[in-house]
Amino acid sequence: MTFLNELVEKLGRPAQDVRAEHLHEWAASIPGTVRIQDAQRRCRCKIAGVIQNIRIDPREGSGSIEATIFDGTGLLIVKWLGRQKLSGIRLGAGLILEGTVGEGRAKHLQVLNPEYQLLPAPEHG
Amino acid sequence: MGKAPAALKRVMLGRPMSSGELGHTLLPKGIALPVFASDALSSMAYATQEILLVLALVGVSALSLVVPIALAVAALLAIVIVSYRQIVRAYPGGGGAYVVAYENLGFTAGLAVGAALLLDYILTVSVSITAGGDAIVSAVPSLAEHKVALTLGLIALVTFANLRGSKESGRIFAVPTYGFVVAIYILIVTGLVKCVGGCPQAESAGEHLEAESMLTAFILLKAFAAGTTALTGVEAIAEGVPVFRFPQSKNAAATLGILGVLSISMFIGVSWLTDQTNVVYTEEATRTVVAQVANAVFGGGPMFYVIQVLTALILILAANTAYTGFPVLASILAKDKMMPRQFRSRGDRLVFSNGIVILAVAASILVVVFDADLNKLIQLYLVGVFLSFTLAQAGTVMRWRRTREPGWQRSALINAFGGSVTGIVLVVVILTKFETGAWIIIVATPVVMYLMRAVYTHYTYVGDQLALPERKPLDRRPGNAHFVILVGRVDAAAARAVGYARSTRSVDVSALTFDAANHGSWRRLAPDIPLETLTVKTHDALLARLRERRASLPQNDFLTVITPEVLKGKGLLEIIRHPGLHRLKAKLVKESDIQVLDIPLVATDIDPAVDQAHEPARHHVVVFISAVHNAVLEAIEYAETLRPTDIRAVSFGLDPDETEQLGDRWLEARVPHPLEIEESPYRDLGESAVRYIKRFAPDGVNRVVTVVIPEFIVRKRRHQVLHGQTALIVKRRMLFESGVVVVSVPYHL
Repeated sequence: MTFLNELVEKLGRPAQDVRAEHLHEWAASIPGTVRIQDAQRRCRCKIAGVIQNIRIDPREGSGSIEATIFDGTGLLIVKWLGRQKLSGIRLGAGLILEGTVGEGRAKHLQVLNPEYQLLPAPEHG
Repeated sequence: MGKAPAALKRVMLGRPMSSGELGHTLLPKGIALPVFASDALSSMAYATQEILLVLALVGVSALSLVVPIALAVAALLAIVIVSYRQIVRAYPGGGGAYVVAYENLGFTAGLAVGAALLLDYILTVSVSITAGGDAIVSAVPSLAEHKVALTLGLIALVTFANLRGSKESGRIFAVPTYGFVVAIYILIVTGLVKCVGGCPQAESAGEHLEAESMLTAFILLKAFAAGTTALTGVEAIAEGVPVFRFPQSKNAAATLGILGVLSISMFIGVSWLTDQTNVVYTEEATRTVVAQVANAVFGGGPMFYVIQVLTALILILAANTAYTGFPVLASILAKDKMMPRQFRSRGDRLVFSNGIVILAVAASILVVVFDADLNKLIQLYLVGVFLSFTLAQAGTVMRWRRTREPGWQRSALINAFGGSVTGIVLVVVILTKFETGAWIIIVATPVVMYLMRAVYTHYTYVGDQLALPERKPLDRRPGNAHFVILVGRVDAAAARAVGYARSTRSVDVSALTFDAANHGSWRRLAPDIPLETLTVKTHDALLARLRERRASLPQNDFLTVITPEVLKGKGLLEIIRHPGLHRLKAKLVKESDIQVLDIPLVATDIDPAVDQAHEPARHHVVVFISAVHNAVLEAIEYAETLRPTDIRAVSFGLDPDETEQLGDRWLEARVPHPLEIEESPYRDLGESAVRYIKRFAPDGVNRVVTVVIPEFIVRKRRHQVLHGQTALIVKRRMLFESGVVVVSVPYHL
């Protein structure tokens, strides 16, 4: 029966978990990058993740756009000030960025105005 | 979902796929041909037989007319193929008959083609799978008794395969389709060779036929109309142009040409062999015409079985084309507001699951009603096919006249000729088949059109109601918040409700109860909030009371009813436990302009040390939205009256292009709050909403999250199906999240 339980456990595993694992592998395969859970504050880091959330805030001066990226280990906010649109910033797109890690709203890790590179969605299948 | 059911679903349907996996693979001609042509080629399995069936009414002597009639049908096929090659050129973006007709001939023509095609796809499934069942029965006659069950089983199989979806489908198509073509050619060539020394005779050759009718022009037309089933499926390539490799139009046109050559030669070949082997076919025959011919030519043996198997397979694949076409058409119609919007959502496996299921159910019903009898089902078939042929070609002529591209006159002439011919055939089909079944489609098509129109009218009305420019609510001063707490018992949930109401700094908070015994403990909990006992202890009295209160307040103020509730456990049973309360809440939201704010508290989460009407220190309000319109602005306005720490709108992104537009609309609406678009990779909004809310780590005491759900309230109950149950699904998932308060803001349409 343990075999059966294991099988049920394996097949019934939420797709989210499987995806997180897959994203972790994907991020780890990009040379020179740090996992988000290991990123220290104030480090100048190269980080890769998938855009999971896009936030536009019309209040802040000339506006701001934020993307929250996920690499299977944690969430990081990437913030661009002074603009309300960035081409290519789409949900599910892969993002490799390099910048100094700081702290943003609600104590989330945040990188301000980083250099970045967009990749197609790193999906499996 | 529990582990075991999740595992079962996983085994049956496969791993859920994330939206990013929706890729477009472009097909080379060699793969595109079997993918799109299986429907057209498969009709070779029954087209000759249908001609023979009509001629049999006149007697054996008339049977050799099958060849000239087949030649006439082949000529028609050639005309349609040449004409469709022009359509492919005109519509490199995929010229589904619906798109062409809607664009060039207007709304009603679009409706007609949409309805005709939907019915036609359903018939394609019933006809093809029934014919596939016939091929199997021809090989294994003992299955004849279980024909209906066999056919339904095959439908179920194809349905499951489609719910799983598959990227490999192109290659799966190739083997049986090419196999079928090769097998039929072998049959024809072997037949030709054997006929040199006198043709072998079919098992039914020489059977006596009772002449029921004279050879009249009507019978000839009827036989011709029956033979035109050979044309079904030709339009598939025109619809699929976007998945061809570049240059797309050229490749699609070439594929159409190849299809034409294959279809015509196979059809004429089989019809000729039928005549030479003297097949006699009546409704009582257990073996199909192709099976009889194959048996005569090969004298039984393995090749006979190979042909039966390949015939069954290609017919099942033909049904499969409908499984691709129907859901896509339904989603396009839904996008054009002609069908309920649920047809636009992709399921776990990225296929349009709703469309697939509806198609399977409808086709199964037809199979049962017509007793899996191909000859009855096929009578219904051709009206939709020729209606869409005709309107698609007519539409393309209009397009040529408009665009006047170089050489347009020639193309327009070809399409005009093709359209006229198919138009005439449409009339012939209707006249000759009306009594035997076509009338069903002639009645059903307008009914479906009427329904689609009703859906369109409703969505358009809703769209107008919600359109932004009508009001700019954020220019005006938001109204005040008024709260009424419904007190069942003075418990931890009631204490949270008091803390919540106080945190909004509202000047008007009161409480209502049915039970006078609550007064003592209420005074200890909230001496500042007056509690009133209702004397008439019915929900109707309460409802009347609240409506009266609502009516006494200014229009732009909000009256919120807070319903604190201690839930015993986390099961869904909890929702059913208080049917009265839930009906009351539904009535409040639906019938009056009152917000209902749920403060649920799972018993195990109660902490007696802190659950003492504590005001939360941080209060985040999240407004779930799917578009920017008046109902959303109203919900935002409402959120502001709660005086929370912060407000944000959150939308779960399903389609990246739409989400980009949403951002633009948000900036245009000048709402002074951020908008977040959150990924929902598995398109399960409940799941994504829970994951999103968990990031706030709400504890219900110091940190509270209020989820505001703008809800459309439709006037007529039957319209509710047109608006999906997203709000309900999200609400149910939120109920058991500790520290999450859910409020519905009704917007009356």
